[in-house]
Amino acid sequence: MGETSKPYGIIAEFETAAAIMHAAEKVRDSGFRKWDVFTPFPVHGMDRAMGLKNSKVGWFSFIGGATGYTSGMLMIWYLNAVDYAIPIGGKPMFSPHGAFPPSYELTILLGAFGAIFGMLFLNRLPKLHHPLLKHERFKLATHDRFFVVIETGDPKFSETETRALLESAGSKHIELVED
Amino acid sequence: MSEVAIPPTLKIQAPPAELEREPLVLNERPPGWISDRITSVVEGKAPRWWWIGLSISVPLMVMLFCVLAYLISTGVGIYGNNQPIMWGWPIVNFVWWIGIGHAGTLISAILFLLRQKWRTAVNRAAEAMTIFAVMCAGIFPLIHIGRAWLGWWLFPIPNANSIWPQFRSPLMWDVFAVSTYFTVSLLFWYVGLVPDLAVMRDRSKTKIRKFLYGLFALGWTGSNRHWSNYEKAYLILAGLSTPLVLSVHSIVSLDFAVSQLPGWHTTIFPPYFVAGAVFSGFGMVLTLLIPLRRLCNLEEVITVRHIELMCKVTLAVGSIVGYAYGMEVFIAWYSGSPYEKFAFWNRAFGPYWWGYWTMIICNVVVPQFFWSKKVRTNMLVVWVLSIFVNIGMWFERFEIVITSLSREFLPSNWGYFIPTIWDILTFLGTFGLFFTLFLLFLRFLPMIAISEVKGVTPQADPHHPLGGAKPGGHH
Amino acid sequence: MSSHSNPSTAATPLDLSKWRSLPTRLMLVGGILSLIGLLVPSYREQFSFSWLVSFMFFLSLCLGGWFMVLVHHLFDASWSVPIRRVTENLACQVRWMAVLFVPIALFAPRMYPWMELSANHTPDHALHAKGALLNIPTFYLASIFCFAVWWYYTTKLRFWSLEQDRTGSAECTNRMRMLAYFGVFAFAITLTLGVILWMKSLQHQWFSTMYGVYYFAGSVWLTIATVYVITLVLKRQGPLREVVQETQFYFLGSLLFAFTVFYAYIHFSQYFIIWNANIPEETFWYVLREKGSWWQIGLLIVFGHFFLPFLTLLRIDVKLSWLMIPLGVWAWLMHYVDLQFNIMPILHPDGFVLHWLDIGSFAFMAGFMARNFMKDFAAYPAYPQKDPRFAESMGVYVAPASKTPAAKVAGGAR
Repeated sequence: MGETSKPYGIIAEFETAAAIMHAAEKVRDSGFRKWDVFTPFPVHGMDRAMGLKNSKVGWFSFIGGATGYTSGMLMIWYLNAVDYAIPIGGKPMFSPHGAFPPSYELTILLGAFGAIFGMLFLNRLPKLHHPLLKHERFKLATHDRFFVVIETGDPKFSETETRALLESAGSKHIELVED
Repeated sequence: MSEVAIPPTLKIQAPPAELEREPLVLNERPPGWISDRITSVVEGKAPRWWWIGLSISVPLMVMLFCVLAYLISTGVGIYGNNQPIMWGWPIVNFVWWIGIGHAGTLISAILFLLRQKWRTAVNRAAEAMTIFAVMCAGIFPLIHIGRAWLGWWLFPIPNANSIWPQFRSPLMWDVFAVSTYFTVSLLFWYVGLVPDLAVMRDRSKTKIRKFLYGLFALGWTGSNRHWSNYEKAYLILAGLSTPLVLSVHSIVSLDFAVSQLPGWHTTIFPPYFVAGAVFSGFGMVLTLLIPLRRLCNLEEVITVRHIELMCKVTLAVGSIVGYAYGMEVFIAWYSGSPYEKFAFWNRAFGPYWWGYWTMIICNVVVPQFFWSKKVRTNMLVVWVLSIFVNIGMWFERFEIVITSLSREFLPSNWGYFIPTIWDILTFLGTFGLFFTLFLLFLRFLPMIAISEVKGVTPQADPHHPLGGAKPGGHH
Repeated sequence: MSSHSNPSTAATPLDLSKWRSLPTRLMLVGGILSLIGLLVPSYREQFSFSWLVSFMFFLSLCLGGWFMVLVHHLFDASWSVPIRRVTENLACQVRWMAVLFVPIALFAPRMYPWMELSANHTPDHALHAKGALLNIPTFYLASIFCFAVWWYYTTKLRFWSLEQDRTGSAECTNRMRMLAYFGVFAFAITLTLGVILWMKSLQHQWFSTMYGVYYFAGSVWLTIATVYVITLVLKRQGPLREVVQETQFYFLGSLLFAFTVFYAYIHFSQYFIIWNANIPEETFWYVLREKGSWWQIGLLIVFGHFFLPFLTLLRIDVKLSWLMIPLGVWAWLMHYVDLQFNIMPILHPDGFVLHWLDIGSFAFMAGFMARNFMKDFAAYPAYPQKDPRFAESMGVYVAPASKTPAAKVAGGAR
C-alpha cells in the first residue's frame, strides 16, 4: 500500500457476470461519479447498470463522413472541371454520379477515421500508464474476473463505507490500489 | 435492448431436443480457458508444421521479389499480355485476390450487423486473410502499369507537369476503393485486436513481449466506460465496412461494366461481383481454418457448427453467383444483340471452353453439395470442396478478362492468350507472400478474437445460470 | 432504453373500430372508379396501365412477405418468430393477386406493343430474337406458372407453421426449412420471370440483367416498412402485445435501413452502367424517362426513395420512434412512384400524370388486400407460439429439453 501518497481507489473483485451487474447497479444507486467496472468482455446491459449515456462516437464518424463526401466532390470538380479540364468520352466535365465512386470511398475512409480516433479520444487512449495496470491482481481483468473500482477522488468516497458497500454487493476480495 | 417483463400467461417451452442450437464453445468452457487455449498457439514453442509451412512460403516469397525485380527492370513484355489481351493474368489475379479479401470483411462487418454470434470464432483470422489478400492484390495493378515508379501519378498529388488524374476512369476509382479498403480493413482489424493485445500483455512473461504487446494495447484496461465507446465505434466501423466491401468489388466490376465490350457490359455486374467475391473468400476461409482448427487444437472453439454455417454461406452466395451466370446468359439471348450472343457462345464453346466449364462446375455445381449435412460435417470433404471454390473463382475472372478481350467487335483483332513462365511464377509468388504473412500472424497474434468469443458464451450472459443468474430470477 | 418515444409502449389498446369499415369503403369507391375505366372504351387504356401499376405494387407486398418467411427459415432466425404470422399471411395474399391479374391478362394485347407485333406476324428485330419467350401462349403459360408456384409455396409454408401451433413438433420446422430451401430458388426464378414479362417487356427492345434484382430490392423495402407498421398496430391493438418487443422493431428498422441502401445501390448501378457505356440499345429506356416531368420524378426517386429515408434512419433511436409511421407511409408513396416511373412513361411519354384511375385501382386493391389480410390474420393464431425458437426470440432462458452433453450434440447428426 502506498503510504506516501493517497491511494488511487478501492478495487473489488467479482466472479460472474451477474454479480458484477448487480454490484454496478448498487454502486450506481449510491450516487458515485468516479468509478468504473472492468470486464474481460463487454457485458450486455452494463451501460444501463452503470447509468451511462449513449456513446458519442457516432458524431465523430458522421462529421468525418460528411467531410469526406464534400471534399471528394469538390476536389473532383475542381481538378477535372476547373483546373485541368479533360474532355473524355463525350461526358460532362463534372457530373455528380461520375464523381460519386471516389467521393463515396472518401466518405467511408474519413467516417472510419472519425469512429476510430473519436473512440480513442473519448477513451483518452493511448495511455500507457495507469495505476490499475501496476496492480498484480488486476491482470485478471483481461482473463476471467470482473472488477469494480471506485476512485478516492470521488466526493462520496470513504474507505470504510465504500468497502462495506462493495462487501454487501458480494465481493470477497477487496483491496486498495496505490496511485 | 431492454428486457421486457414476460407476462406469466405466456407459455414458453424449450425447443425439441433435435432442434436445440449447438453451443458456440463446446463443453461449457469458462472464459479463462478460452484465453489459455487461444493464446497457447502464440505462447508455446513453434510447432513443426509451422516451420515446415514457413520453409515453403518464404522461398516462394523471395522468388516473388526476384520476379518483380526482373519485371520492373525489364518491362511488362515478359508477361503473356498481348494485343488485344492487354489485361492478362495480372488483372485476373488482382480481382481474384481482392475477392478473397471480401469474406473477411463480410464476417467481421456484415455478420456483426446481422448479430451472427458465431462470427467471433472466425473473424480475426478472416480479417487477417483480408489484409494479406489485399496486399497480394495490390501488387498486380501496380506492377503491370509498366513504369511502376510513376505509380504515384494515380493519386491527386500536385506535380511538375501540373496535370491531374482523370476521375472519370473506373481505374481511378479502383485506386480510391482499394486503398480505402486496405486502410479501413487494417484499422478495423487493429481495433478488434486492442483488447486481445491487452490479454497478451497481461499474460506476458518476458519484458520484451510485455513492452511490445503493452505498447500496441494502448493501455487498454477493460473499463466499461471504454467498452461503451469501443462497442459503438466497432458498430460504426461495421456499418461503414459493409457498404465499403460492397463498393470495392462493385467498383472493380465497373472496370469492366462501364465499357461497351460484350460480356463485360452488363448491369448485374456489381452485385454479381460482390457475391462472387464473398463466395471465393469463404472458400479461402474454409481452406485455411479447417486444417488450423485441428493443428492448433481449437476444435472446441471453431466447432463443426461453425464450419457448417460457413458452408451454408458459401452455398447461398454460390447460388447467387449461379443466378447471375444464368441472367447473363439469358439476357445475352434476350437482348437480341449478336455480339452479346456470340460472347457467351464463345465463352462456353470457344477456345476457352475448358475455363468456362471449370468455372460452372466449381462455382455452381460444387457448392450445391453443401445442401447435405453429411457433406457439411465431413471436414475433409468440405476442405476439398473449398479448394474447388477457389479454383472456380479464379477461372471466373479468367473467363471474364480473357475471353471478352480475345474476341472483340473487330474479327481482325482477335487473339489468344498464353501465359509465360513469369506470369505463373508471379502468381505462385503471391502465395508465398500470403502464407508467410499468415503464418507470422498465427505465431504473434491471437488468431481468434478472445474477448469476443468470451462475450458470446453463456458465462457472459448475466441472465444465464452459467453467468451467475439465480434460477428463475430476473435480475 | 428509457428515452425513446416508441408509441408501441403506450398502455391503452388502440381503438380502431372507426377504421374497420375503411377497407370496404376503399374497395367500393375504388371498385366503382375502376369499373368506369373498364367499361368506358376511351378510358380502357389508362385503366389497364393504372391497374398494372397497382397490381405490381401489391404483388411487391406479397412477394416481399414470402421472401421474409423464406429468409427466416433459411437463417434459422429467432428474432422474427413473433412477426412471422404477419409475413406468412401477407405472402398468402398472393393467391388473390392471381384474381387481380385477370384484367391484365385480358388487356395485355393492347398494353404490350410486342403482342400486337406478334399477333400481326410483323416482329421487329428485337422481338424476332426474343420470340421464344415473348409470344402470346408463353406469356399466359408463364404467368400461370408463376402464380401456381407462389400459391403452392406460400400456402404450404403457412400450413406447416399452423400445424406446428397444434403439435409443436420438430417435423414442421424441418418441412418449412425444406420448403425454404427450394423456395428461395423458386422465388428468384419466378420473380425475375414475372417482372420481365409484366414490366420489362412493355419496352421489349430493352434489356438489363439487373432488372429482376431491382424489383426485388424495392419490393422487400416496401414490405419491411409495411410489416413494421402492421406489427406496431397489432401490438397496440392487442394480438401481438405480449410477444413483440423492441428487438423486433429495432431489427425491422435496421433491415429497412439496409434495404434503403441496397435499393439505391442496385438502381444506381443499373443507371450508372448504362449511362457510362452510352449504348443506344439501352439508353433509350432512360432517355424516355428523362423527358418532361419524368425527369423530376427520377430526381424524386433519388432523393425520396434513398436520401430521405437514409438520413432519417441513420440515427439508432429513430428505428424505435414514431417517425417510423410516416416513413412507412412514405415508403408506400415512393414505391408507387417508382413503379409509375417504370411503367407509365409508355402511356404518358410527355410526363407524369396522376389519373383518377390510378387512385381508383389503387384504392380498390388496397381495400381488397387489407380485407383479405385481416380476415386471414383473424382466422389463425397471431404468432407461432410453439416455434422452437420462440423462447430465444423472447430473450428468456429455458432449461434445455435434452441433458445430453454439449459435445455430443455438436458432433451428432440431426
